[in-house]
Amino acid sequence: MPYKILDKKELAMNEVMYKIHAPHVAKKVQPGQFVIVRAFPNGERIPLTPVTWDREEGWITLITFVRGKTTMRMANELKPGDEILNVAGPLGNPAPMEKFGRVLAIGLITGIVEVFPIARAWQEIGNDVTTLHVTPNPMIILKEDFENAVSRHIVEGFDLQPGWGMNEIAQELVKRATAKVRELLENEHFDMVLTVGPAGAQKAIFNVVKEFGIPMHADLHPIMVDATGMCGACRVTVGGEVKFACIDGPGFDAYKVDWDELIHRTGFYAPLERLALEHYLKQLQAQGGEQ
Amino acid sequence: MPRRKLIKERVPTPERPPEERIKDFKEVNLGYTFELAVREAERCLQCPYEYAPCIKGCPVHINIPGFISKLVEYRNDPDKAVKEALNVIWACNSLPATTGRVCPQEDQCEMNCVMGKVGDKINIGKLERFVADYAREKGIDEELLFEIIPKIEKKGQKVAIIGAGPAGLTAAGELAKLGYDVTIYEALHEPGGVLMYGIPEFRLPKEIVHKEIEKLRKLGVRILTDHVVGKTVTIEELLQEYDAVFIGSGAGTPRLVNAPGINLNGIYTANEFLTRVNLMKAYLFPEYDTPVYVGKKVIVIGAGNTAMDAARSARRFGAEVTIAYRRGEEDVSAREEEVEHAKEEGIKFVYFVNPVEFIGDENGKVKAVKFEKMRPLEERDARGKRKIVGTGEYITLEADTVIIAIGKHPNRLIINTPGLKVERGKIVVDENMMTSIPGVFAGGDAIRGEATVILAMGDGRKAAKAIHEYLTKKRQEKANA
Ligand SMILES: Cc1cc2nc3c(=O)[nH]c(=O)nc-3n(C[C@H](O)[C@H](O)[C@H](O)COP(=O)(O)OP(=O)(O)OC[C@H]3O[C@@H](n4cnc5c(N)ncnc54)[C@H](O)[C@@H]3O)c2cc1C
Ligand SMILES: Cc1cc2nc3c(=O)[nH]c(=O)nc-3n(C[C@H](O)[C@H](O)[C@H](O)COP(=O)(O)OP(=O)(O)OC[C@H]3O[C@@H](n4cnc5c(N)ncnc54)[C@H](O)[C@@H]3O)c2cc1C
Ligand code: SF4
Ligand code: FES
Repeated sequence: MPYKILDKKELAMNEVMYKIHAPHVAKKVQPGQFVIVRAFPNGERIPLTPVTWDREEGWITLITFVRGKTTMRMANELKPGDEILNVAGPLGNPAPMEKFGRVLAIGLITGIVEVFPIARAWQEIGNDVTTLHVTPNPMIILKEDFENAVSRHIVEGFDLQPGWGMNEIAQELVKRATAKVRELLENEHFDMVLTVGPAGAQKAIFNVVKEFGIPMHADLHPIMVDATGMCGACRVTVGGEVKFACIDGPGFDAYKVDWDELIHRTGFYAPLERLALEHYLKQLQAQGGEQ
Repeated sequence: MPRRKLIKERVPTPERPPEERIKDFKEVNLGYTFELAVREAERCLQCPYEYAPCIKGCPVHINIPGFISKLVEYRNDPDKAVKEALNVIWACNSLPATTGRVCPQEDQCEMNCVMGKVGDKINIGKLERFVADYAREKGIDEELLFEIIPKIEKKGQKVAIIGAGPAGLTAAGELAKLGYDVTIYEALHEPGGVLMYGIPEFRLPKEIVHKEIEKLRKLGVRILTDHVVGKTVTIEELLQEYDAVFIGSGAGTPRLVNAPGINLNGIYTANEFLTRVNLMKAYLFPEYDTPVYVGKKVIVIGAGNTAMDAARSARRFGAEVTIAYRRGEEDVSAREEEVEHAKEEGIKFVYFVNPVEFIGDENGKVKAVKFEKMRPLEERDARGKRKIVGTGEYITLEADTVIIAIGKHPNRLIINTPGLKVERGKIVVDENMMTSIPGVFAGGDAIRGEATVILAMGDGRKAAKAIHEYLTKKRQEKANA
């Protein structure tokens, strides 16, 4: 069932927004939920998060970080007016909607897009929400949207150095994020912390938050295939029990998550993902050569 | 018909040799030609309809001697022979190309075939498959479909079906033929259920499943993929819009071995492994985007159809594959033909071993499985299988990939529906296939746990009849009011 792309924009470096006609999702989606997208006939199913939506007009927006073959293909090959083959959902459980008090909601790089609907809803129901975006400077997105939606929005940006790869970026991300979170928690009182981002960085932040004993909710990103509870690819250990993040999550109590296991599992496909990307880049080069 | 000579031996179907077929995912069994099919058909004794034990053994009671006789009767006109035969089969079964390939015929229609007393049983499954394949290739199924469509009388009532597996597809087809307006809600991006994501291409080519489903679309069935009932829409909401609902959501949730190390990298559920390989075509990576890792040494835990499929798929990636089963050879529940094929393809079997621990390396990747050795008892369980007990002795087998195939539970998103009665994870239905919610019916693996394609189809048919009665009453009440 194809879904029309109503609009597409590059918001920042490697950050692409798609506005998609998907009334079945728009009608039902709640903050914290996600969709599964399959863009091409030989494509894979990837989880992405509706950032904004209009229930009446029947559209959702998605923002992807261009990081591997699928997100790059989408960025290169899809134009407004084209169709995405599959958008399934909404999936997963909504984030808890409670009055926690003062909340610190942290988004790491593109993780900030998932923070947006949750932080906005939390603010709307009477929480005092501070959002923190830790990211390379060229990837700052949604700044104004956050400023309009929550009490305070902090951007902790850093410059990319020549020659940096994903590892160096990840290290800098962890350094910046943990320092900023420590500073905030030392100087202010918070009742709840939310994080979304790469598992390694989330774990580092959790270790800081734990010292202060503040409750923490983490949205997890294990690998997913069907995302309807049928395969167990997304399994995580929470409180000593095996949970499927796609139907029991994606949000969990950070104090109960087995972080090391999650980090191992998320990286399992990295070599094949590199292979897929290289294969795609070669194809692009070959096409370039013909023209 | 004139009395013929008894031909004791089965006409064999050609198969691709193991050395060749383990290099690809193309179909193993090549099926009959018309000539071979007629020769096999001639062996059938044409037992009378009321008596024929093969019909009794078939869960949907196809008139087996009836369709077989057409092949012999019109032997000089293959197209006509197939059309007549297909017409007989379609009266009871709308997915014959599928069931002809995947039914455990040895436990069903072929089990009691009287020819078995004097020689080989009739190869009913392969004859059914032949009729469906020939009809599809020659467009005969379309012809028949276009004769049926104009006769359908619209009823003006709507039915929603949850799940596009064999149960849902069959119910949808029957209801569409009865004139109902039918919509299927399917969570995945392709309809077919296990036929699409579970059973591999080398047993059931996906092209065939596509075509069988196309026929339903021509009958007017609407299929909404990407719709996850329980999330995209709830059963309660469906009841506002539709006059009846059928749940055919299967038993998709995998069971995991409750042992330390289960979340190590390299340990898949059979569902994940097979979904990657079949539905997402990971065997064509990187032409297809979905990856899958298959190591050099693969252990598959379990011995049902799922385990055979997972093992044989892993073999096709060049791995050395061992099936580890906690009971004995005689307890293996997979189809005979598939076990034979697995053995021919070089898959090893280890019996009476039960996994107790998965052992990982320093990177969190599986490297071995520790098993307890088991021993059978004389006592039998409810299913007639021997009970087993641990011996306290252990063995450890090396493996860099482990696939868990020990069974599945019904989908949690469905069974958590408020007001839906569920016992031991299965949806409870009455003798009319109706659940505890009035107007909501169910069938297939969702009510049985892991069963078979044809039982799911049988449920779909039975539920369609019950829904028809229920809706006829509703129409009459409305007319009288
Ligand atoms: C619930 C959920 C919501 C998400 N929302 C967003 C979002 O709104 N925007 C966004 O940019 N990203 C989001 N992601 C991550 C997104 O799914 C991955 O970025 C995407 O799959 C990468 O695909 P790729 O082929 O471009 O990169 P790849 O090269 O395939 O992958 C790069 C890395 O992404 C991760 N990844 C790959 N495939 C999957 C998968 N199927 N499921 C989960 N992680 C995977 C792995 O860590 C991998 O190493 C979300 C993930 C989850 C689980
Ligand atoms: C690997 C494997 C091999 C097998 N081999 C054989 C064989 O050789 N012979 C045989 O007879 N049987 C075999 N079986 C068993 C057989 O496939 C099943 O008994 C049969 O498919 C059950 O049919 P069903 O329609 O009840 O469910 P399924 O085929 O499971 O279909 C259920 C459908 O519902 C969808 N669904 C689930 N939840 C939702 C939801 N919430 N919303 C919307 N849609 C939903 C699923 O995506 C799926 O498409 C095998 C099973 C497996 C796993
Ligand atoms: S039981 Fe065997 S011989 Fe008799 S009708 Fe059926 S298939 Fe033919
Ligand atoms: S992604 Fe398959 S069960 Fe969660």
